[in-house]
Amino acid sequence: MNKSKTFEFGLKRILRVVLLGFLTSVAFVSCDDDNANMPGSDFDRKALLESIGTNLIVPNFEDLQSSVNSLSETTNGFTQNTNEQNLITMRTAWKQAVIDHQHCSAFGFGPAELLLGPYATVLGVFPVSEEKIEANMLNPNFDLPNSFDRDVRGFYTVEYLIYGDGLSDAEVVAGFDQNRKDYLLLILSELKSSFDNIASEWNNSYLQSFIESDGTSAGSSISLYYNAFIRDYENLKNFKVELPAGLSAGQPGADGSLVEAYYSGISSELIEAHYENSKNCWFGLSRNGMELIGFEEYLQSVIGGPELIETTKDALFRIDEAIANLPDGSLSENVTSQEVEILRNELQSNTANFKSSMSSLLGISITFNSGDGD
Amino acid sequence: MTQNRNAYFKLTAYLEQSVSIAPLVSFRIAFGLVMLFSTLRYISMGWVDTQLIDPILHFSYFGFDWIKPLPGYGMYLVFSAMAIACVAIILGWYYRFFAALFFLCFSYVELIDITYYLNHYYFVSIISFMMILVPANRCFSLDARRNPALERKTVGRWCILIFKLQIAIVYCYAGLAKINTDWLLEALPLAIWLPAKSSVPIIGVIFKYKFTAYLFSWIGMLFDTFIIAGLLFKKTRWLAYIAVVIFHSLTGILFQIGVFPIVMIFAVTIFFSDSFHGRIIDGLTRFFKRKRDVTIATNDLPSKTSNSKLLLPFLMIFFMFQLLFPWRYTLYPGSLFWTEEGYRFSWRVMLMEKAGTATFYVKDGDEGREGSVVNHEFLNSHQEKQMAMQPDLILQYAHLLEDHYQQQGMKDPKVRAEVWVTLNARPAQLLIDPEVDLTAKTDRWAHKDWILPFNENELR
Repeated sequence: MNKSKTFEFGLKRILRVVLLGFLTSVAFVSCDDDNANMPGSDFDRKALLESIGTNLIVPNFEDLQSSVNSLSETTNGFTQNTNEQNLITMRTAWKQAVIDHQHCSAFGFGPAELLLGPYATVLGVFPVSEEKIEANMLNPNFDLPNSFDRDVRGFYTVEYLIYGDGLSDAEVVAGFDQNRKDYLLLILSELKSSFDNIASEWNNSYLQSFIESDGTSAGSSISLYYNAFIRDYENLKNFKVELPAGLSAGQPGADGSLVEAYYSGISSELIEAHYENSKNCWFGLSRNGMELIGFEEYLQSVIGGPELIETTKDALFRIDEAIANLPDGSLSENVTSQEVEILRNELQSNTANFKSSMSSLLGISITFNSGDGD
Repeated sequence: MTQNRNAYFKLTAYLEQSVSIAPLVSFRIAFGLVMLFSTLRYISMGWVDTQLIDPILHFSYFGFDWIKPLPGYGMYLVFSAMAIACVAIILGWYYRFFAALFFLCFSYVELIDITYYLNHYYFVSIISFMMILVPANRCFSLDARRNPALERKTVGRWCILIFKLQIAIVYCYAGLAKINTDWLLEALPLAIWLPAKSSVPIIGVIFKYKFTAYLFSWIGMLFDTFIIAGLLFKKTRWLAYIAVVIFHSLTGILFQIGVFPIVMIFAVTIFFSDSFHGRIIDGLTRFFKRKRDVTIATNDLPSKTSNSKLLLPFLMIFFMFQLLFPWRYTLYPGSLFWTEEGYRFSWRVMLMEKAGTATFYVKDGDEGREGSVVNHEFLNSHQEKQMAMQPDLILQYAHLLEDHYQQQGMKDPKVRAEVWVTLNARPAQLLIDPEVDLTAKTDRWAHKDWILPFNENELR
């Protein structure tokens, strides 16, 4: 009995000391800072989602929808009046569409997540398979909606059909028999319905639910958007620069045929547009330059954010320079140049800023279907 | 010598004293229920596929690289077995067999891939192992109904104590681990995590105050360190239990920690009195309209298990290991949070915010053409995230890549990695020497000298 009493006394004393120490430290801590608010406190994630959703994502998808629709119309015109004039018109429309695509590929979640994955990994795949496309054309039973092949559809299949591999305009036009026309129309109808869908879903209800889900855990809007943004940035580095330059593990050398837009030769232009959209997401800019709330503003409000902003801006500046220094002419003929490797290295050195450092500071879940943590 | 022996006999005699079996029986039922829920939840989340079957590569535990996921529906069989074992544990039906089956299946699943390591899975493995050792089926069970001779109302004291001790180790060590400058003086990582949770309903508003992060850090440390003391004494027990429920519910709402809060809320009930658990068992017995017959005199024998002579020394060694193993980090040079040498199996929970980006470069021989690896062609995002900040997993991945590129026809793949890691909001630093050929390194208990030192001064 006596024993337990002394023990209780001892326990009380320990508790008293601990409590006192705790209160002192809390008092100390709360006094040493003039602003009791934590960095991160003032940041309104909902405002970011609304700003980016309304002024970047939706308008960009609307642009893409409209350019795909004009591509579709010019294609109809071309298949009815198959001549060089209409071929040129169709190519111009195609170029506009793939540039608009660069400004959307980072948003491959929500409505833009198709059955086979984010739309850019389905409709923006390159290189396409010439053999499969030629075979499909001749196969009366070919069923595009039920085909899992990614390299027989999308923007770069259209490109192959309307540019041809090293053919003159006259040869392209001459080669357009009914099978070829039908396949082109088939591919276009998939593109059109996909982007009509994505744009209308964003406009109907998705934008609102995108803004409302303002948490940071897996499945929240910021997590979906952030993860899509990172994957898209990595795709730029991995597939548009590194792979054609032969800088991927196990490659025997550079391979110019692996560039995006090989047949039209506008790869560098697309890289530039793609990177511009990455910057728009990070800085918070609409495509026409309007100031929005981006990751930069978000970082500004969290612990360690200002330092990361400086590091990231330096890295982004160097990427700008590296892109400006890309050799003139088509990228596919210059994949071995030093400038391409420099661009890869600059994109690489920014990856950690975007990928691990930013998600860590912002507390965003970087997995799509997260397991438990502890 | 004789004195030591006497002390030992006294201790074992104390440990074998008869105490009520009731706490153990409730524990058995609660454990079975929570594990059944956890198993079904894991299946329904689709994690059997995404975590175990789909990944191309798995990261193994040191010494357990022979453990592989089963092909086809094999993993679903294992999970079905686990669910059935849980039901059998709840009912006390062929208890020892199913307790052993559960332990084996659960631990097997955990051992498949170390990137899914969680302290609470480790905890469940340990608890389920100890469940095999205790006669938790000797009351309120189908086993005892089938064979009334089995029925007891007491067990050796050790059967209850081992669970209390294990739970005490978890909390105390988790508390001690929080006594570090980042946690207490900078309120890190909570100062990073809490603002990200400001959209949580009702309580979210308080997370914008810096004060909250400090308050939570200190309360967290004090809670973990002292909660067991609160649970041990009758006077403070209910108060302490309410604290347990509030603490774990809060962390459960704030962080993605799955069933861990429920596991702990149920597990600590073992600290409640015999009479409390007795009433629960009585209530359950009445509910199931079974006449409780444990009062039959012939059965009122201490259920001294015949093998306790061997068991007790074993358990002493087991707990000695439990107590010492978490301190192994002191044998390694450098910062524990940075190198993570001796980090796992030590109850360091929710302790740091760490993330990395790891880029691997492969070339064939010293003169080969060097190219980089697209990690997500081999790993899922969870695996990549875990790998990119833990040196031993980086090394393992380098060896997996070596194997892969050898199969692709390379003669002598050399693998190096540039790994940028941020720890508790500090600017990212290189974790390992980016020039070292990792294929020439092997994972051992020894310090990895290719880990670069941590520059701690870089915190704002």
